[in-house]
Amino acid sequence: MRFAWLLLSFLLVPTLAADDNHERDFLSRVRRLTVEGRRAGEGYWSPDGKRLVFQSEREPGNPFYQIYTLDLTTGESKRISPGIGKTTCAFFRPRSDEIEFASTHGDAKSRQLQDEENAFRASGKERRYSWDYDPEMDIYAYSEKTGRLKQLTAARGYDAEGSYSPDGQWIAFTSMRDAYNRPLSDAEKKQLDTDPSYFAEIYIMRADGSGQRRLTNVAGYDGGPFFTHDGSRIVWRRFDVTGVLADVWTMKPDGSDQKQITDFGSMSWAPYEHPSGRYFIFASNKLGFDNFELFMVDAAGTKEPVRVTYSDGFDGLPVPSPDGRQLAWTSTRGGGSAGQLFLAQWNHEKALETLANAPLKKAAKKP
Amino acid sequence: MTRRSLALVLALTSASAASARADVVSLRRLVTTLASERFAGRQTGTEGERLAREFLVAELKRIGAKPLPGQRDFALPFEFTAGARDAGTTLTLQTGSGKARALSFSDSGDVTGSVVFAGYGLVVPESQDFGYDSYATLDVKDKIVVVLRYFPEDADQKTRGILARYSDLRYKAMAARQHGAKAMLVVTGPRSPNAGELVPMTFDTALAGSGIVAASIDRAAGDAIFAAAGKPLVDVQQSLDSGNPHVAGFDIPTTVTVRAKVERERHTAYNIAGYLPATGRPISEKPWLALGAHYDHLGHGENGSSLASQDEAGRIHGGADDNASGDAAVLALAGILAKQPRPRHVLLAFWSGEELGLLGSAAFLAAPPVKVADVAAYLNFDMVGRMQDNKLSVQASGTSKSWDKLIEQANVKAGFNLSLQPDPYLPTDLANFNTASVPSLNFFTGAHADYHKPSDTADKIDYDDLDRIVGFAATIVRRLQDTPEPLVFAKVEPQTQGGASRAGVRVFTGTVPDYATEAKGLLLGGVVAGGPAEMAGLQKGDVIIEIAGQTIANIYDYTYALDVLKIGQPAKVVYMRGRDRKETTLTPSARK
Repeated sequence: MRFAWLLLSFLLVPTLAADDNHERDFLSRVRRLTVEGRRAGEGYWSPDGKRLVFQSEREPGNPFYQIYTLDLTTGESKRISPGIGKTTCAFFRPRSDEIEFASTHGDAKSRQLQDEENAFRASGKERRYSWDYDPEMDIYAYSEKTGRLKQLTAARGYDAEGSYSPDGQWIAFTSMRDAYNRPLSDAEKKQLDTDPSYFAEIYIMRADGSGQRRLTNVAGYDGGPFFTHDGSRIVWRRFDVTGVLADVWTMKPDGSDQKQITDFGSMSWAPYEHPSGRYFIFASNKLGFDNFELFMVDAAGTKEPVRVTYSDGFDGLPVPSPDGRQLAWTSTRGGGSAGQLFLAQWNHEKALETLANAPLKKAAKKP
Repeated sequence: MTRRSLALVLALTSASAASARADVVSLRRLVTTLASERFAGRQTGTEGERLAREFLVAELKRIGAKPLPGQRDFALPFEFTAGARDAGTTLTLQTGSGKARALSFSDSGDVTGSVVFAGYGLVVPESQDFGYDSYATLDVKDKIVVVLRYFPEDADQKTRGILARYSDLRYKAMAARQHGAKAMLVVTGPRSPNAGELVPMTFDTALAGSGIVAASIDRAAGDAIFAAAGKPLVDVQQSLDSGNPHVAGFDIPTTVTVRAKVERERHTAYNIAGYLPATGRPISEKPWLALGAHYDHLGHGENGSSLASQDEAGRIHGGADDNASGDAAVLALAGILAKQPRPRHVLLAFWSGEELGLLGSAAFLAAPPVKVADVAAYLNFDMVGRMQDNKLSVQASGTSKSWDKLIEQANVKAGFNLSLQPDPYLPTDLANFNTASVPSLNFFTGAHADYHKPSDTADKIDYDDLDRIVGFAATIVRRLQDTPEPLVFAKVEPQTQGGASRAGVRVFTGTVPDYATEAKGLLLGGVVAGGPAEMAGLQKGDVIIEIAGQTIANIYDYTYALDVLKIGQPAKVVYMRGRDRKETTLTPSARK
């Protein structure tokens, strides 16, 4: 999970007929990819662009996300995670048969938690969707050839949101281990109870799990790191200490040269670089607290972000295809409050043209 | 859309044959022919239906389909009632006189008896836990009951909302019959709309009467009868209008004779059914798949469900989208399947009588030439020619737990912006298959401004996308064919309860709901020209979120909200137009 869905709170505004919008400038032939299961999301492309790996609540008996690959030629999907516990944030390892994801199946309480959640849902009660940053979450690599799982992280605290470098040698990830590996002050203990994501920082490790190293050191949730396509930088989102505002940042893979790209005065997160290297696509609630839309911003962050989607509810977690001609993202536009994966043709030329004409960035008003 | 020759399709293996595309030109020819003036709107039981049938049978033969096992012909007749007419119903009173007109579902017959007034004649089933029974303290056995039309006028909204659902006259007649009455006379009270008027003979397709003599009587007759009780009707009605369930009816010391004469025009219509036999030894478990679409439409709009404006009234309703598009889809799909290996037989059906109330498919399933238990799944196509923004509704997906996976898989390739609707209680033939416990799907591209109008013409059909829908369905059929274990049927609980029917709704708002798009509220697919909604400034694309203080989350909420509206009384409507929240006032008129 690359985002605190907990913040997706309050009632959804009435779903409107899409107003005469500019979504068609960038997205055409919008189609719904996932149908089965209660919700699905976070679809990431295989390097050859022929498959996606995603998470979905569709495993019989398990109310939580499991990880699936989807073959875009045949439509076949296949579970690659253990089926037990919670999982999130999968990513194909380039030049390899491995797929990494985070999972809690090593937690002895996994089945009990599944049963409790099933009982809760069976009771007919509803609660807002939330992500609990399970401290038992660790990162694993799955081999498609052997079907074996290799554990890459073992630290107490949420380890997840992993993604590989383009050469397949490194994994950038998010960890909340900082809340567990040292004595906390009283204020920090309280913080851990109310919002553990405050302790989340970006880390890097080798693809075999060795050499784990911390890259960020700023209070507030740093998460969702992805390498740029040339491997020279990592793009991620940095929340302020309140957990309400977030912006897109980039840094070198050694943690140096941290640069703020957006200053958008909203929750701007889930940035992903277009393969051209020219711009980032991300999600922001600029237009309303629970109305996330996709935006894009030039790679240097000199311009104001440009709006991409025009659909009420949630649009987020954008991932362009390796050839840059398609976009996969997670949206509630199919109805209801649970997201599913969508796919559309992406008009790269129009995106470049619009970004070129976008006004220069104005600094957001600081509260 | 690229056109592919069928020869190429033939060369493909069965795994990739799902990508087969019907010929766009062929789809255009089929829709254009079926919607042409020659077939005059294909009204059930008419010459237009006969000509359309000949055309469809010829197409089936061309594909290589055969009549169903045990049948010599593709055309399967069924009887239906084309209409009912009052042939001179009379009423004889001890004192005074008045007029009577049989209700469309009345039995014919002469009845003489003493009279009991049974209030509004409403019986709310105990399951509703509400407690309203007009017959609770009355003995009406072998008597003639007099009841008021509609439901208590001054009751609070909740009470009205419940009672309205049981105020359909057919439902009231059933209650009277069940209590042993031998006739029911309906008077429209002085405090109600259409006061003192006879109830018009509505279109009714029942094959027989409802088992009781039922007639409406006019103001003069009502006054004369209540004079015998010494109570003016207006006072009697007022005492009931608060909705107080303890206000009882009473005996009226008089005797009346009603001679009801109803003539029903019985006609014969025809479903069309054939099949593509399995190519080898068929799969043993549920060896049939079924595909269907209705081919009847509204003729010149005679039967009341036309939405033609005044200046287009009486013109041919070609029904290109509704449902020549579905017929073309079934034929195109059959053309693809005819050239593939078939582990199961494929039943191909074109239903008649759909627009009159799903009559053809109901008749077929009442005496099915193929055992229904042998049908693994049914796919229905109703209005698939007007795709907008790549949106396709796949309805009734709740009828099997396996549908979602099949749909997902097929759509990865087909690439529609799907809207999934689990509910199988649809106003199309699929509803009958759901009742018969057959896992089913309906394909639908959404309502539009030309729905049920002469302007639903072939030039407005989107043939490229119709072709894509055929390809999508072909992939699903392929998967159903390749899976020896049949789908497991799942029962979806209906979302509405009680005797509700459109006949029970007496207000007219002139809104055309968009059933295809899921919206929080009631999304308008259009408004009836000159109707109350149009006069209130509402238009296609508006989303009603509140009416008369009732919040509207979906079409069911809207239906219930209609029950509490009062004719002629302005109601506040809150709606969204784009991002703007707006308000207007809508004044419902009476549905006759």
